[in-house]
Amino acid sequence: MRSRLPALVVVACVAVVSGCGRSEPTFSSRQGLAPAMDEYVRTSIDQKFGIPNDIRVWDRLPLRPHAATAVVGEGAQDKILPLTLVEQHRDLVNGQEVVWVAGTSMPQDSAKVKAESWNAEANLLKLSAAPPAPPKTGDRVVVGPGAVLVHGRALYAEHCQHCHGVGGDGKGPTAPYLNIRPRDYRKGLFKFTSTKEGLKAHRDDLGRIVEEGIPGTYMPSFKLLKKNESQAIIEYVLYLSMRGETEYALYNILAGDYSNDSIATRVKDGETEDKIVSEFVTRVKEGEIDDDASSMLEKMIGDWTTAQTPEAIIVPKEKRYASDAASIERGRALYLSNNLNCVACHGDSGLGDGIQTYSITVNTETQKPNLEPGLYDTWGNKIKPRNLRLGMFRGGRRPIDVYARIEAGIKGTPMPAFGGKMTEQQKWDLVNYILELPHEARTPGTGVAPVTANAAPAAPAAAH
Amino acid sequence: MKRFWCFFFMFWPIVAFVLCWIAPDMGWWFPSNGPTGMKAASPIGERIDDLYYMILYITTATFVGTQVALGYVLFKGAAMTDEGNEQKVWYSHGSHNLEVIWTIVPACILLFIALYQMDVVKEVRVKSAFPAETKGGTVAIAEVTARQFEWRIRYPGIGPDGKKLPLMPKPQPTDLYTVNDLRVPTGEPSMIILQSGDVQHAFFLPELRVKQDAVPGLDIPVWFEASKSGDYTLLCAELCGWGHYKMKAKLVAQPEADHMEFMRQLTVQQNYDGVPEATNEVAQGEE
Amino acid sequence: MSTVNPAIGTDAGQGHAEEHGHGHGHEHHGSFISTYVFSTDHKMIGKQFLITTLLMLMVGGALALGVRWQLAFRWEAMPFFGMLFKAEGGQISPEFYTMLVTMHASVMIFLVIIPILAGAFGNFLIPLMIGADDMAFPILNMLSYWFMWPAIFCFGASFFCAGYGAAGGWTTYPLLSALYEAAPGSGAAQTFWLFGLTFVGFSSMMGSINYMTTIINMRAPGMTLFRMPLTIWAMFITAILQSFALPVLTAAGFMLVSDRMLGTTFFIPGGIVVNDNDPTVGGGQTLLWQHLFWFYSHPAVYIMLLPAMGMVSDMLACMSRKPIFGYKPMVYSMAAIAGLGFIVWGHHMFTSGMNPALGMTFMVSTVMIALPSAVKVFNWIGTMWGGRLQFNTVMLNCIAFVSMFIVGGLSGIFMAAVPVDIYIHDTYFIVAHFHYVLFGATLFGCFGGIQFWFPKMYGRMMNEKLGKLHFFLTFIGFNGTFFPMHLLGVAGMPRRYADPYLHPYLEHLLPMNQFMTICAILMGCAQFILLFNFFYSRKFGPTCGRNPWNANGLEWTAPSPPGHGNFESVPICFRGPYEYSDPNHTEDFWLQTDQPVKKAGDNPPPSAAH
Repeated sequence: MRSRLPALVVVACVAVVSGCGRSEPTFSSRQGLAPAMDEYVRTSIDQKFGIPNDIRVWDRLPLRPHAATAVVGEGAQDKILPLTLVEQHRDLVNGQEVVWVAGTSMPQDSAKVKAESWNAEANLLKLSAAPPAPPKTGDRVVVGPGAVLVHGRALYAEHCQHCHGVGGDGKGPTAPYLNIRPRDYRKGLFKFTSTKEGLKAHRDDLGRIVEEGIPGTYMPSFKLLKKNESQAIIEYVLYLSMRGETEYALYNILAGDYSNDSIATRVKDGETEDKIVSEFVTRVKEGEIDDDASSMLEKMIGDWTTAQTPEAIIVPKEKRYASDAASIERGRALYLSNNLNCVACHGDSGLGDGIQTYSITVNTETQKPNLEPGLYDTWGNKIKPRNLRLGMFRGGRRPIDVYARIEAGIKGTPMPAFGGKMTEQQKWDLVNYILELPHEARTPGTGVAPVTANAAPAAPAAAH
Repeated sequence: MKRFWCFFFMFWPIVAFVLCWIAPDMGWWFPSNGPTGMKAASPIGERIDDLYYMILYITTATFVGTQVALGYVLFKGAAMTDEGNEQKVWYSHGSHNLEVIWTIVPACILLFIALYQMDVVKEVRVKSAFPAETKGGTVAIAEVTARQFEWRIRYPGIGPDGKKLPLMPKPQPTDLYTVNDLRVPTGEPSMIILQSGDVQHAFFLPELRVKQDAVPGLDIPVWFEASKSGDYTLLCAELCGWGHYKMKAKLVAQPEADHMEFMRQLTVQQNYDGVPEATNEVAQGEE
Repeated sequence: MSTVNPAIGTDAGQGHAEEHGHGHGHEHHGSFISTYVFSTDHKMIGKQFLITTLLMLMVGGALALGVRWQLAFRWEAMPFFGMLFKAEGGQISPEFYTMLVTMHASVMIFLVIIPILAGAFGNFLIPLMIGADDMAFPILNMLSYWFMWPAIFCFGASFFCAGYGAAGGWTTYPLLSALYEAAPGSGAAQTFWLFGLTFVGFSSMMGSINYMTTIINMRAPGMTLFRMPLTIWAMFITAILQSFALPVLTAAGFMLVSDRMLGTTFFIPGGIVVNDNDPTVGGGQTLLWQHLFWFYSHPAVYIMLLPAMGMVSDMLACMSRKPIFGYKPMVYSMAAIAGLGFIVWGHHMFTSGMNPALGMTFMVSTVMIALPSAVKVFNWIGTMWGGRLQFNTVMLNCIAFVSMFIVGGLSGIFMAAVPVDIYIHDTYFIVAHFHYVLFGATLFGCFGGIQFWFPKMYGRMMNEKLGKLHFFLTFIGFNGTFFPMHLLGVAGMPRRYADPYLHPYLEHLLPMNQFMTICAILMGCAQFILLFNFFYSRKFGPTCGRNPWNANGLEWTAPSPPGHGNFESVPICFRGPYEYSDPNHTEDFWLQTDQPVKKAGDNPPPSAAH
């Protein structure tokens, strides 16, 4: 006892101190492929997107990852570059890396050139050292490559990661306790968008969610983040989303033949595992899989790019109709109508208790039986239609927000797009009705006259 | 060794004293990020600070006094065991007079401290003593609802006459909403109705020295007055779950005119119908 | 003139103590189980409590270091805990932090401070100090220890539930604690926590009844109430406090459990939506919990302090070789603290929205409770005044107790004043305050008490050098950790924030927090010295006689360690316990059992009280 106790103390101290070693954050990956294929997916994704502490950005992704991209103008000297900025997302400061993405100085591996000072009036960038080859007019350079994403990654780790997970899979340690599960970005799908039916989310849609939060869920408002901070987070989320989609794409290409389940079936049918693996290796060598993947990637990039254009945004063709009693009454009729059938989910009284919340036994998307009858979203979570009486509108309470929900639906959920079914006036009538619902008396069908701005309120708010 | 311990016990109060002395210069004192610096940003806050300093001076005097006495006792007691010290121990079971003195004197001081605070307590908490602008705690500028993990704020809307409507207990179609962004006019008392949407939170404005728990099921009136325009911190001070620390918001004090302008902008913004028109342009340019 | 020389120890007039007293032929018939496990002997139960609480102290300390780690190195891989629990990308999650905060407080309060004072010292000392052979109800006493284990089990089980433990704060304010969905730790973990609390309550209640009965009925002949050592007074008052306040908490706990499990709504108001659930239905009031909880938990603060005050009084008198200064005022002030302690609970609720008039009343009563504490401090200093101070580990810890209690007491005045409390409520100022009282005062008192009564427990002395080293490091670490918290509080840093630096006005406090964490780690490591000293000395410490400190109390007339039944013959008490350095006596101590020397005009013997 005499000799052992101090030794134990020392061992305990060493154990505690050695525990200080960092564990590297890693992106989670899709499970279910056989080891060889899993390895292939992981390596090729890591090649394209890097790992959390070493992010790689692929030039073609519609992201804004860099501090600035620019074209070298006339009269470049060894250490002074006249630049025409193409895009700028961060201030140009001392110490940022300068990388040639096209032109004489690329590829530039060993000699890292750093920015020393930026003269905004003259558009002159002074370098800390001369690039390996003299800069030419028309060279394209990137200043501060990935600066935005690196910043975003740090902020994401601080604010978002414990719910949304390192890889944006919505499986952080806090996630299991949240009743509206945190969004899994990897499907590239976001619920509350201002874009048209079937389109991906616009950057600003994410910005709005970060700024305003989602009322009624655990997504809080991050209003006090600085502008460049929330931008960085948004770019990083988009990056995670694109990474996830790429991973899904590869996974889906391979899952048919090489998932654990299908390999088990194939082995049962007489094939050997070695043969399957060598077949896979051949297919990879012949570039078949890469071809499939790149066509899916092209589509993804196209989709994201489209969603960022002004044409993608929903713009009502007519201005909002005044929210008078007649309009609200028409809206109520629409709400109850068989054509739109809002009541099926949202219920007669708008309490979110329609018949489908307990009657749907087969998932409409996967065609598999539901664990519990009800409505499910694309991510496989049971969801409740909004209780429209609470005055909490997840995607925002502006008329345009409600309009957009009706017009384009809520993406990834059973809330369909009604845009094609209704006239402009009908849409606004319904919007007016829904915005009035939290203030209406609770009996369905009586159509209580709404309290309008003109009606003088009865008594001032007392401190009850 | 015993002298070492005497010094040891005297060393730390000196360090503590010095630490408190330099704290304001080192920024380890009242929050100084706000528009008023280290000074409280509301008249009541300044009085709270005065009370704080009063107690600080009294306690510092007591602290120094007791530590000096302790030090004296220690050094003297250590000397008693020195070689060749023939001094006898002071054999005493106590002194009635001393007991009376050191009961009565602190009692008076403590009672004074307690009674001296009453006015401020009354003004901060008792509705009938609220400033005239709140009409005895009946007129509120906004309803603040604490949620896990954000502050949802409901303002009354602007009437057709361009004036603010009164805040109604139940939400109205004309109401305006913000999140994590409470705006009040500068230099006049404003009252809010504090609620909680889920668990208990606490409404804490460090620069204004305001704190009030948001208790589920209660509507609690809270009034405060920002003496200078600018952004102040608003945060939660009662454990409300995992995101307790995330309830970061701001209180913006603006001159009356700016405040009304903000309300008008908010009205436009909140009624934005997505049709870009000249009249609607303002709505997007809030930041 | 003899002073304390622990290495040798004297047996002054008692003859050499045999290891086991004579005349008790029935003492060693028990098996291992009945002697060491299900023992009904108060000394064994006291030791069981002591060792259990020391181990729990390490657990609670580890949890505290987790908290400190996050505050200093936010979101960086946490040593030890990071390995035990799931961490995303090397980070702990915020609910894990709230769990650490909650469980640290719960373990420290319910499994360390309360049981170490009442359970360990109370059990061991009460019969010995009043000259009884055991507790009044030995089996109840045994049960009071064994009800700690379900409590430890429940708190422990809480770690293995969803959320890794209760995370609603040790105050478990509803609705966070009442609704399963309100937070990750509010599920089964919270239920276990509440059951744990109930078991701790059972344990304390059984102890209290026992202590009261024993102290009232089983005092040795001549041991009048005002000849009792202050430790016994403190235990007595504590037991009364405990038995009046505890039923309220137990009832409140059951109400909360029934809110959670049976669908009642004592604390749940209607229309509350948590985690996208359906709105709650009910007409409860969350403030009710706060009233009930603090009605117990404020007196509990004194339950966590009074016994230490009593023990320190005894040790200070002995180590100053002087009678306690103002024995009766000491007793009255303890009684006053206890009495006032029942009407100050509202000061925890100054910002809670209760009736402001009530707040003002509580402010006056709270400010006034500082008074008896002040009287005690003055009396302690008076006790040391002009004494022959023995600078040993016991004394150092006692001086630290007084010194730290002054800080804790003075910072309490800030909180008692409502306007100031409005600002500092739920900031680190509060954290600083109660750590100064509970750690700075109570735990230093306990460390001193362990060193002081260890020879009586095991018949061996604890190592002085290690004791002093432990004290030195703990004292430095303690002040380095907790003093800056006052400043953090003034700077407005709220409690229980996993990441305070998110708020710009707190950003600059990071370096200070890092300094505090380093001090806390130092302090945490120092506790291993105590553990080592404890277990090492138990086996290898120098043996000692009956009265190594030359103290006066009855316990020092019993053998070390006392055998079954404690005393060889019924001790008879002739005087108060603090007759040190009486000029009429040849030695500088005068055992309570020593026959008074018959001298003309010197009869009856001087009583401690006058």
